[in-house]
Amino acid sequence: MSSTGLSIPFKAEFDANSQEFSLSGVVRPRSIDEIAASISILKEAIGEVRGVLYINVRRLVQMNNTAFHVFVRVVIDACRARPDLRFVIVTSSVVGWTTRMFARLNEIEPQITVEVYDSKFYPGQSFVENTSFIPILRTQTKMTWRHERSILPRHGLRPGIVMADICCGIGDFAVLVQKEFQPARIVALDHSKASLAYARDVAAGFGITGIEYTYGDASEMLLEDNQFDFVSCRHSLQIFNQPNALLAELYRICRPGGRVYVTNEKNSHCLGEPRSQSIQWTYNEVAKLFSHFEMDVELGPKSRRYLADAGFDDIVVESFMVTNLDGDPRDFADVIAAWEDVYAGEMAVKRGDSPEFIQRFRQGFQDHIFAALHPKGYAGWPIWVASGRKPL
Amino acid sequence: MEIAAKEPAEAGFEPLLQLEMEMETFLSDWRHCDQLSTYVARMVSHNRTDPVRHSNFFSSALNELLELSFRGGSPEGQIGCVIYRQGATERVRLSFPCPPGHRQFYREAVSKTHREDAYARYLDSISTDLAPSKDVVLLDLAVNFDAQVRLDEDAPPFLTLVVDLPLEGIVS
Ligand SMILES: C[S@@+](CC[C@H](N)C(=O)[O-])C[C@H]1O[C@@H](n2cnc3c(N)ncnc32)[C@H](O)[C@@H]1O
Repeated sequence: MSSTGLSIPFKAEFDANSQEFSLSGVVRPRSIDEIAASISILKEAIGEVRGVLYINVRRLVQMNNTAFHVFVRVVIDACRARPDLRFVIVTSSVVGWTTRMFARLNEIEPQITVEVYDSKFYPGQSFVENTSFIPILRTQTKMTWRHERSILPRHGLRPGIVMADICCGIGDFAVLVQKEFQPARIVALDHSKASLAYARDVAAGFGITGIEYTYGDASEMLLEDNQFDFVSCRHSLQIFNQPNALLAELYRICRPGGRVYVTNEKNSHCLGEPRSQSIQWTYNEVAKLFSHFEMDVELGPKSRRYLADAGFDDIVVESFMVTNLDGDPRDFADVIAAWEDVYAGEMAVKRGDSPEFIQRFRQGFQDHIFAALHPKGYAGWPIWVASGRKPL
Repeated sequence: MEIAAKEPAEAGFEPLLQLEMEMETFLSDWRHCDQLSTYVARMVSHNRTDPVRHSNFFSSALNELLELSFRGGSPEGQIGCVIYRQGATERVRLSFPCPPGHRQFYREAVSKTHREDAYARYLDSISTDLAPSKDVVLLDLAVNFDAQVRLDEDAPPFLTLVVDLPLEGIVS
């Protein structure tokens, strides 16, 4: 059931398999007659389920009191008529008012509980969101920017456009883009409050205004449809267990004729000389480690397929190699040291790896650093850049 | 619709935006409430710490106020909405014409938001009323948006609701 004419269409759906009734979009009816069909779906759902009915309002962007009251009435009446039933309302930590409004219901009926959906639902989220990732991101962007600043115009970035950087991390890419390309507007979204706080501090420190940093979940954003000329999402499709769902959102917020730009790695292709074998072994293991946490850091070359499957046309793919010769080799070494720290530290430990494994795992990173700093050495980190146009 | 930067003084508050519209035009389409609240929220929130979420939250509150004036307003004269800011708070001053008999009702609805039992009344109303009453809309703002609501008695038929929304602190 959906209604048109609103900025974000309203939908009410019931999935019998997961016993989940979900509401999404904007619902601001004048009278309850306008949402009668959605109410019927809820009533039927209540009639059908056993045990628990999940009510998913994570993607509910707006709901007025008129609508809130009717939906809530149905649920409260059901609590009274069906003491055997429990209701779990799943709200999003991103949408402030839903969490507050729905949280009250538990005080009216203990059969209704409210859960706030957040990072614990993503398998690898805790690593990529916490502060130990900040040094990695900072050094990485410094290295990749040297290449990307000349690549970006080929993918549609130009002055005056409206852009979004989704999964912006500590926001340094947004700052660099702002300085170099002067877009009319930049929205930078991430799900790490620590990274966003850092990003806002950095922007304030440099006197940069105009970047709209926002906390959000990239797989269900508050941003409206068809808004942005350019949507970037760097090094992040590869850390989602469902890259398709993320791409669908990037597609949604991009305007027809605009472009979505993604960068991803293929970690097993990191290389170095001398000590190439140890380096190779470690990066093969990096790919396995991430896949243990349902992240695909081998995604780079698959991005063409992902973009095509998501409905983009005019797909452009290229790759570049960040190397120790790009500038100060110390920068390259810093990136690797930061990887070693998190991958062989926190992540390997969390997977339950033995000390022997971890030692060998670390050795590859150290050899990569050795290659980077060696006067005759060469060390590389390949990146795949891909963009596609949302058809007009 | 007119948008201007000048407005009546509101001590300590910085004016952000003012909007006026013929009430008759406003009342001609229900979707004006949604459209105006979305638009105003976006303008007002652009320099908040988290513009997107502030705007979503603010739009939610403003829409309720606009719906209230849509349902209770009368078609002669103008609806006016001025937004001010002081620190973490936005102030909405919403004036609209309404039938004389309704004034008392608004006085009571506003005073209910100040009473100690506002929260209990709010819960009671969602668990027992069939449809939301106008006073629950103001209670909702007080309970869920930490709003301070006040009524300015203008010359009839105009009525002005002054609503302080400290959303920056809730959002960020
Ligand atoms: C590998 S980092 C890349 C950051 C940045 N684009 C860069 O290249 O430096 C991945 C980022 O995705 C963010 N992230 C993870 N899950 C997210 C989600 N569900 N919604 C939004 N951001 C998310 C993490 O907080 C992290 O900042």
